[in-house]
Formats: sequence, structure tokens, C-alpha cells
Amino acid sequence: MESSSSQSNEPEPIVVVEEKQRDIDITTSTEPGSDITWRRTTGSDQDMDLPSSPSSSGYAGEGGGSTSATTGSLIEIEHDEIEEEQQLRIQNQIDEISITDSNSSWIPGKRHQNEDDGSISWRKRKKHFFILSNSGKPIYSRYGDEHKLAGFSATLQAIVSFVENEGDSVKWVRAGKHQVVFLVKGPIYLVCISSTEEPYESLRGQLELIYGQMLVILTRSVNRCFEKNPKFDMTPLLGGTDAVFSSLIHSFSWNPATFLHAYTCLPLSYATRQAAGAVLQDIADSGVLFATLMCRHKVISLVGAQKASLHPDDMLLLANFVMSSESFRMSESFSPICLPRYNPSAFLYAYIHYFDADTYLMLLTTNSDAFYHLKDCRIRIETVLLKSHVLSEVQRSLLDGGMHVEDLPPIPQPGVSHLGQHMLPSDSPERFKEANHSIGGPAGLWHFIYRSIYLDQYVSSEFSSSISTRQQQKRLYRAYQKLFASMHDKGIGPHKTQFRRDENYVLLCWVTQDFELYAAFDPLADKALAIKTCNRVCQWIKDVENEIFLLGASPFSW
Amino acid sequence: MATIGHNNLNAKLVLLGDMGAGKSSLVLRFVKGQFLEFQESTIGAAFFSQTLAVNDATVKFEIWDTAGQERYHSLAPMYYRGAAAAIIVYDITSSDSFSRAKKWVQELQKQGNPNMVMALAGNKSDLEDKRKVTAEEARVYAEENGLFFMETSAKSAANVNDVFYEIAKRLPRAQPAQNPTGMVLVDRPAEGSRAASCCS
Repeated sequence: MESSSSQSNEPEPIVVVEEKQRDIDITTSTEPGSDITWRRTTGSDQDMDLPSSPSSSGYAGEGGGSTSATTGSLIEIEHDEIEEEQQLRIQNQIDEISITDSNSSWIPGKRHQNEDDGSISWRKRKKHFFILSNSGKPIYSRYGDEHKLAGFSATLQAIVSFVENEGDSVKWVRAGKHQVVFLVKGPIYLVCISSTEEPYESLRGQLELIYGQMLVILTRSVNRCFEKNPKFDMTPLLGGTDAVFSSLIHSFSWNPATFLHAYTCLPLSYATRQAAGAVLQDIADSGVLFATLMCRHKVISLVGAQKASLHPDDMLLLANFVMSSESFRMSESFSPICLPRYNPSAFLYAYIHYFDADTYLMLLTTNSDAFYHLKDCRIRIETVLLKSHVLSEVQRSLLDGGMHVEDLPPIPQPGVSHLGQHMLPSDSPERFKEANHSIGGPAGLWHFIYRSIYLDQYVSSEFSSSISTRQQQKRLYRAYQKLFASMHDKGIGPHKTQFRRDENYVLLCWVTQDFELYAAFDPLADKALAIKTCNRVCQWIKDVENEIFLLGASPFSW
Repeated sequence: MATIGHNNLNAKLVLLGDMGAGKSSLVLRFVKGQFLEFQESTIGAAFFSQTLAVNDATVKFEIWDTAGQERYHSLAPMYYRGAAAAIIVYDITSSDSFSRAKKWVQELQKQGNPNMVMALAGNKSDLEDKRKVTAEEARVYAEENGLFFMETSAKSAANVNDVFYEIAKRLPRAQPAQNPTGMVLVDRPAEGSRAASCCS
């Protein structure tokens, strides 16, 4: 097999050729439309969606933009492919539409199972993730059937080993619209191929999380299988976990914890959270390593045994594992799990129990015989939670939501602010006193995320009505992600403030020793006013920190 | 181990078998009377309890519904240790799952509690037209190995309660409360950390 790769700033697709098989083009520049234009209107979709490199990918159509036919002919164009492509475009639009509805409409599990690298639809996916072994065996693919992707996997492996043979390691390759990011973890290779224009650091962070998720399921000792047999087929070991990975990948576009490396709490009164924390502490003293009470992906309370600390990334992966596995909702469960940041080589045992559709308890122990003890613990915890109305407060908080930008109190505020302000009757004059923009908060504030560096926690406001669709929210998160990466860029940073205006919004970022604030405003917002508003947001967070953060003895001290 | 208190029996029961054989579906049919066409894979093991009245006694089953995935195989002893009964489940439309079931029987014969009541359940009996394992073949195998055999359908509920009822009847009950040979489950876990890992 021969492989070659090239890198240039020109939008020239890189072609990797496997001689004895058919030609494979890993970097078809098929989507000249950016993320943003793709979403706008059906009308522009028609234009923007036209494929651009017909000869390299076998697509028909005129080139739409800068990435027009640049490669030699690899695959002959066939008529039925053109038709198929028309149908697929419609299908893709339907997919987009069905996903757009709301967060809840996202369906877990693997889709497009029937695709492979020969399918045009597969090539058009904006973001691929692959796990493969260093012998080129596919382990996981976000889209399509792993077994059918053996040839493609071998190609990826060839790229990695080609560079490794030079005594180097490949980090990423830019090819037209596509970025190919590699992460090598011993015998496991992870690859992302994306046309989403996310920064390299973000994509690499996502690959790290995918690797971490794999460790949650298998631990690092899976490496030993490859030492014994380099051709080891790992796919059966991950049987039944497609939903876990697809839900994690989905969370890259809605859960800021995936790039902030912090966790978030469900807003609750201080007393309520204290009550939950106290009973968990009792349990932790009886031989439980970590006791965590969660509502969806938000923490209600958590405690760790002495000296044990839980990394926010581990929490993210654990919560994703539990929430994406339907089986935990059926009954109480006892399952081996690994916390990669705590100890990537060993399993812990997790007792998992759902109190209601949203609220669940995770008790982690090193003792594989502890089930009945943990079950007793759960019964004790449940009694206390019911008695102190924690579970009903949790449901109320879910209904109320978190911080609404419309409720941002004016400065000076004598420390009487509460999260419940938005519950004021809608005819209250106070409610609209500051809302001089028709939508959103004061000075055109649409959304913010505040990350407390000391607590390793963040709080994200509710979305204002200007950012109501999932696509808009995803776009904003991607913008935050970019902002985060640029603020933390080791080459040119770190920076303290950043003010950025484009056609979508004004983004303001402010980093101090204590916190990071990311805020999005109306694109016409006034700069001075926006800065003033950010100060008010920080003051507001200080006023309500008892309710939005888990304070006090934090086990997050690594 | 089954433990006796007056006419009440507590019995730990474990379900083993290939993934997709229908272990969770059998348990959910028995415990909740439900059936889901698309039952998600079990992670680790799910715990259920259900009480049955048999003749003059009540039997409280503590049921471990284990995951059939390969990666959990090495952890199975954690769930079948000290079990008074086991249901080994296979899918009548899959010869592979029947082979897998035989391996589970062997493992239990070697490592399980010697007095364990074992049942072999050929599940998905509603899929007669896709059958790959004949009832006769399974019956002969079960007889040779001292198991009792039933074909079940979690979907139609056929024979599901019967399997559990039959186990309840066969549990040794006149036994004095001697020290069981298996592991004794205690409320308090032994201190000290033990870590298991896959593929070791």
C-alpha cells in the first residue's frame, strides 16, 4: 500500500490512494457553504450545497466557490449518483429540520448505520469521529458501519504511521474546508474530520473526551489486548455503547462543560442543597468514594471521601454514560465504571438509581461486593430527600430554569437579588424596566456563561428569545468555544479581555484570576454599555452564588 | 443462597446469556408485566426483586439481570456468587446464543454454588418461523446437565412466570440454616479496595 499526504494553504483536497482497492478521497470538499449559510434559508441551501469537487468525489454539479475541482479524476461520474445526490440532499435537509426542532427531539443511538465511505451522504457529513487501532482496525465510527469502513480506517492508520516513520507525530491536516485532527493514545488512534471550522484545540479536546468515554467503559487495560494480539478486534468490547458515544458527540454542540472543563449546578436554595449535601456526606463517611446527586447533567450535590477528588471531565463522562444508557432507568443498577482522571487503569463500581425521570444518584465505591450496602445507603438518602422536599424543589427548579438575562438587576443592587425574580407577574413594571431592547436583557444582552475558576463550576444563563432554536444555540456555543480557545491560546495569549462584533452578535470575554465571563449581545449593542452590563452580570452572580454554585468543602482539589 | 425465615424464602437469582437473548425482557415481563420491542442493552447488571407465593411459602427473588456483552463476562462471578438459582437464557433463533448458553452452564457447574437451581430458557418462542435451535436439542442438553428447560416468550408472556414459579418450587427449603457454601452477603462491605479491570 502506498500513501501520500500533502499540506498547503490552498484549498486543495488531500488524496490518499490505496492502490489495490478503489480510490479513497478522505477530504472531499463538498460543503462550500459554511455552517452558518447552511442553516439560513432553503433558498441559499440550493446554491451553497452544490458539491464542488466533482472529479475527486464522484459528485456532479458546478463548483460553488473556492474549492472547485482541484484534483485529478479518481472516480467516474455516474448518472444515478447525480440523482441519488439530489435525493440525499433532500434527505439531509429533512435530517437538519428534524434536528432543529429542539433539544428533546434528538434521538440517541447511531444513525445512518447503512452508510460507508462510498456513500455520498456519508462523505457529506460535517463532522466525523473515528476510533481505530494502530493496526488500522475500525473500533468506532460516528456514522456508518465500522466493519464496512475497514479500508478507510486503514487509510487513516497509514497517515499516522507515515508521519511516525519520520520520527514525528501528526496533529492535524488542513484540506480545503476540512480539518483532520489526530490523537494517538498508545495502540488507539482517534481521528476527527470536520468542516465545522472549530479550532484545533476544541476538536482535540473532543477527541480526548471520546477517548475518556472509552476508558469509562473499558479502562486503559484494554491496551493489553493489543499487546497480546495487535490485530485484536475491539468492536465487540464496546457492544451496545453507540448511544453513549453519539450522546457525547451531540453534547459537543450543546454542553459548555465539554470545552470549559467545569461542571454546573442546578439552581437551588442554599438550604435545599445543604440538606442534600449533608445526607451524602453521611454516606461518604461509610466507605463510599464519591456520592453524587444529579439532575440531568447538572449537579444537585456531591461529596467525596477524604482526599478523593473528582475531575469535572470525569463527571461529564460519567453523567453522559448514565444518561445515555436507557437501562439505568429500568431499575437500580450496579456496574463497573472507570474514572479516567481518577484512575484510568482500574474499575470502580457504581450504584445507580433514578429517583424520577430526571434525578439520579450515583454512589461510587472500590468494593465490588458493596451493592447491598449502597442499596441501603440509597434508601436512607431517599428518605431524607423526600422529608426535606429536595426532590420536589429539584422539579421546581427545572421548571423555573436558571438565570434569565431579562432579570439582570440594575446596579447598585443591595444584595437582595434572587433567582426567582423572573417569577414576577408579567405585568410588573420592574420586569421591563430595563428591557429597553425588545428581546433579551439590558443593553441587548442575549446570553452569558460565567465560569468560576476557584470552584471549577460554571453557570450558563437561559437563552433569550433571540437564540431560541437549537441551531442558533449551537452556533453560539461554537462561537464561545472559539473565543475560549483564542483566550487560552498559548502562542498569543492568554488574554484578559476580548470584544468581537460580527453579523450575528457582539461577543465579550473577560478573564480574571477568579472567573471567566463569556457574554453574547445583540450585534448592534453599544460597547461601553455592554462592558457595563458585564459588570452587572458579575455582581448579580456574586449576589446569588449561594443558589447557583455548590460552595463549601469541595472535593475538587487536585 | 436461599435463606429461610418461617415460611419466607429469600433467593438470589441471576440471569446469564448472550446479549440480545432477552434476559432483561424476561425479567421485565416477570417483575413489571411489561414488554418493550426495542429493549436497550443492559449496562453492568440491573437489580430487581419480586415475591412469589408457592404453596405454603413466599419466595422473595432478588434478581440480577446481567449484561450479555463480552466486556462484562469477567465480572459475572460478582453477580452469580452465592446465587441460589440461575436462568441461562438463549434465543431460539440464534445457534450462537445456544452455544453461549452452554458455556455459561459449564462455568456455573465449575464455579457456581453446587446446589444452584438452574433453568435453561429458550426465549423468543414466538418467532417459530426463524427458529434455529430445536426444542428437542435443548431438552436433551438440559436433561444431561441437570437443568430444567422451558421455551419462553417475553413478548407473548408464554412460560415466563412459569420459569420463576418452577424455580421457586425447586429451591431447597427444608434446609436448616447451616453455613452456606457460597459467599455470604453482608450489609457492610469488607473494607479495602479491590480493583478489577477488563481483559486482564
